[in-house]
This record gives sequence, C-alpha cells and structure tokens, in this order.
Amino acid sequence: MTKLAVVELKLLTREPGAIFSLLIPLFILVVFGSSIEPGDTVLLPMALAIAVGLVGLYMLPTTMATYRERGILRRLSTTPVRPGNLLVVQLILQLVLALTACGLLLAVGGTVLGAHLPTGVLPGVLTFLLGTAAMFAVGLLIAALAPNGRAANGIGVLLYFPMAYLAGLMQPTDQMPDILARIGEYTPLGAFRQSLRDVWAGGAPSPLLLGVMAAYAVVISIAAARFFRWE
Amino acid sequence: MAVIEVTDLRKRYADLTVLDGVSFSVEEGEIFGILGPNGTGKTTTVECVEGLRRPDGGSIKVLGLDPVKDGRKLREQIGVQLQHTQLPENIKVWEALDLYASFYANPRNWRELLEEWGLADKRNARFGKLSGGQKQRLFIALALVGNPRVAFLDELTAGLDPQARRTTWELIKQVRASGVTVVLVSHFMDEVEELCDRVAVFDRGTIVAIDTPAGLVDGIDAEHQMRFTLMAGDMVELGGLPGVTGVTRTGNRVVVTGRGDFATAVTAELARHHVLVSDLRIDKRTLDDAFVALTGRSFDSTH
Repeated sequence: MTKLAVVELKLLTREPGAIFSLLIPLFILVVFGSSIEPGDTVLLPMALAIAVGLVGLYMLPTTMATYRERGILRRLSTTPVRPGNLLVVQLILQLVLALTACGLLLAVGGTVLGAHLPTGVLPGVLTFLLGTAAMFAVGLLIAALAPNGRAANGIGVLLYFPMAYLAGLMQPTDQMPDILARIGEYTPLGAFRQSLRDVWAGGAPSPLLLGVMAAYAVVISIAAARFFRWE
Repeated sequence: MAVIEVTDLRKRYADLTVLDGVSFSVEEGEIFGILGPNGTGKTTTVECVEGLRRPDGGSIKVLGLDPVKDGRKLREQIGVQLQHTQLPENIKVWEALDLYASFYANPRNWRELLEEWGLADKRNARFGKLSGGQKQRLFIALALVGNPRVAFLDELTAGLDPQARRTTWELIKQVRASGVTVVLVSHFMDEVEELCDRVAVFDRGTIVAIDTPAGLVDGIDAEHQMRFTLMAGDMVELGGLPGVTGVTRTGNRVVVTGRGDFATAVTAELARHHVLVSDLRIDKRTLDDAFVALTGRSFDSTH
C-alpha cells in the first residue's frame, strides 16, 4: 500500500496535467492580483475555487477513467491487492494535489500580492473539505460514466466552463444576470466560491450552502459508486 | 497431481451461451494449451479459473482452492498476463516490477526477472517508450514476479515478430523447467504445437478434444499425400497396401494418397522390391488439419 502510494505519487508528478492544475490558478491569481487593492477578499476565493475545480473535474476523472480503460484495475484484481486500494490512493493523492494548489495560492496571494487571509481557520477548513468533496464527487461520477480516459477528459473540460461561469469564476456575480447568479450559488462550485467568500469576509459561511455542498458530495458519490465499472 | 480441475463449467451473457459444459484438468508442471479461434470461450474459461469472473454453473478448483471463495489466497499463488491490458504510460520498468512484487507475500527478486527477460537495459525506461516485444516481456515478468505456482498467459506472442516469438517460446520452456505450471491461451497453432504438453481444443463454448499436440494430429483420419520420384527399379503395385486409397503416376513422379500411417507401409514395400526413389515428401499433418477434422470448419475461417 505504501509502495503503491509512492509509485502513484511519482506518476502524478510526471503528469503534465498536474503541473497545469497548479499553475493555471496561480497564473490567474498573479495576472489579476497585480490590480487588486491590499486586503482584497474576492480574488483568492476565486482562485481557490478554480484550483479545486480543475483537480476535481479534470485530473481526477481523467486519471481514474484511464486506469480502467488501460485494464490496470482489472490487472490489479488478479493480484492479492484489491483494485479499490488504487482508487483510495488516487483520491488521497488528488486531495494532496488540491491542497498543494491551494497552499501555493494562499502563500503567493497572502505574501506577494498582499491579499487578505481569513482569520477563521475552522470555517475555512470546513468549507475547503466540503467544497472539495462536492467537486471530487462530480469527478468520480464522470469517471464512472466515461467509457475511456479521453472521454472523461472531454466531459470534465466541457462541464468545467459552464460550472465555472455559474460559480462566478468567469465574471463577478454582480455583473451576471440575476437569475444565473442565483442558480449558480447552488451549484457545487458556486456554493464553494460563495462560502469561501463568506469566510474571507470574516463571517461564517451560510449553513445552507455548506449543506448544499455536503448534499452534492453524498448524492453524487452514491451515484458514482452505483455506476462505476471495474472494466 | 492436478493443479486445476474444472468440471462442467457454464457461463451465459444475457441470452448468449459462452461456455456450455467445459471440463478439463491441468497437471502440475505441464504447459497446458487452450486453443481455439477467437470468441469460442477460451478467455472466459481462463478468467473464471483466475477468479475474475463468476461462473453460472460447474465447479473449479485451483491448487485446491475455490477461485471465488478463496480468491485472495489463490491470487497469492497464481500469476496472470491478461490480453489488452496496459500500464500507466509514465511508469518505469523497474517501478512496475518493484510495485507488483510488493503485492505478494513471497515475491521473486525482480532484478533477476529483469535479467532473465532481457529488460535489464530498459530498467529505467518508461512503459510508453517500450516496443511491443518489450512490453510483452514485461507483462510476462509481472505475471511471474509473485513467484506463482501457476502462470496464466493469454495470447502471449500476439503482435510479436517471428524472432521475438521464438525467443519468448524458449523463455516459456524455462518457466516450465523451473517447476511452474503454465496455462497458455492461444489461437496460434504453431505456438501450441511448439510449447504445449497437452491441449484443449475449444469450439463454440465447449472442448472438442484434449490430447497432446501429436496425439491430436495422429487422431485425425483425413486423407493426405506422399510424393516421390522413381530413380531405379520397376514401380510396384501399391494400391493394395493398408491405408492407401489412390496412386497416380505422371512420368517418374508418383503421388500416393491414403489415410493413417500408410507412408510407412509404402516405403517398406518400395524397399523390399529394391525400388530407389528420391525427392520423397510426406505432407505433414498439422493441428490445423486436426481442428478441421474435429470441428468441420477451418480454423482461419472462424476469425
């Protein structure tokens, strides 16, 4: 199990997509960050949501669907190790990737750019966990339904843009049509961004939005488990 | 001692019967061939034996274990090379072997396997950069890294060039020599003839014959021919010899048609009458002929 984790970690670092998931949000942060006022509470939550969204919708489903497509899960099931172990290791590593991306953003945003960092650690961690769980659940559902790695990749990218738009990651929500902004707030990514925003503003995230994310995480994970095929 | 015993195995997918009462046993230390055209149930049978699929009926014992109930215990003792599986593009050869070795309680030293399978100089190469033959050798090495008592190899030389196939065959013989029982799934007649101690011939979800390759060939009762050129002496009457069904002569060239081992009788008769012949050829019967005789259709027409 340890060796499996080590090898999978090495493979992840050799994956160009993993580097992109780290660099794209950072790039966006730096480009827009040059024009923010000190103490900004908008940009960092956006960049964090983008990072978690990329890992959940792009990295996670592509990796898992590719493993199934290449028969790696099936090959594992002929050994004493259960193929489920590989999925668990992958989930943990993708979580580590999301954490790394967010840590990088916080470090750069908080120091170089002088953006505001929230004081409420617990609400921040809770929001991060629920938001990541919701996005990973969507990623798992894509992995379950996509016939192969390329399809998973395509579905992930296709889903990312409308979800990012609705979440207010493409333009600020106050410039969006009111109805779309309202709907967007209850999408997984939208609830995540809004909750982060609340944390950054110094308040507690709305229990309703936390509940929305938890519900997405549970319901979509169950659907993913239901539709998942090992081969 | 039988290491694999399969009795009356049955498997259906929806309304398609894939296996319709398959029975065979594999003895310790042999290379057992599972031969048949694609789509006749070979791979399904082996996957049931490996515990990857659950049969609808019949019983399977591998090393005394039930592949479904004692799956985990069984998987410690078998090694599998599957058709159509890949590894991650970016995994290095040594990492794959090291990783798979870590799955087993008593693995082989994977560094030895690297040497044995000619992969030592590819140790640090990534899977995606390997040639077809190198990938195939790595898959076989991975099937052996757990130090298995039984190795299942499915279409092990598919996609290899003739030279690489020969090399692989020699290595498989060494695997048998080291005491590992090998189950070889193949649709290549020459491979089965070269390697297998015994063969089960599959057709339409059942086994139509189990025998040694030579036994299968001898068992067929099809007509075949011998030809020779008369050098000296007068031609003798051959038509009455046992097994001979026809003799035609064109100038010095003679073609004798017959069944069974008529060629021995013919050469003996020629020798007795001091007839000298040259250019003697006896059509070699092959497993292809055996397959036609057993199933009533040609092997290649089923592809």
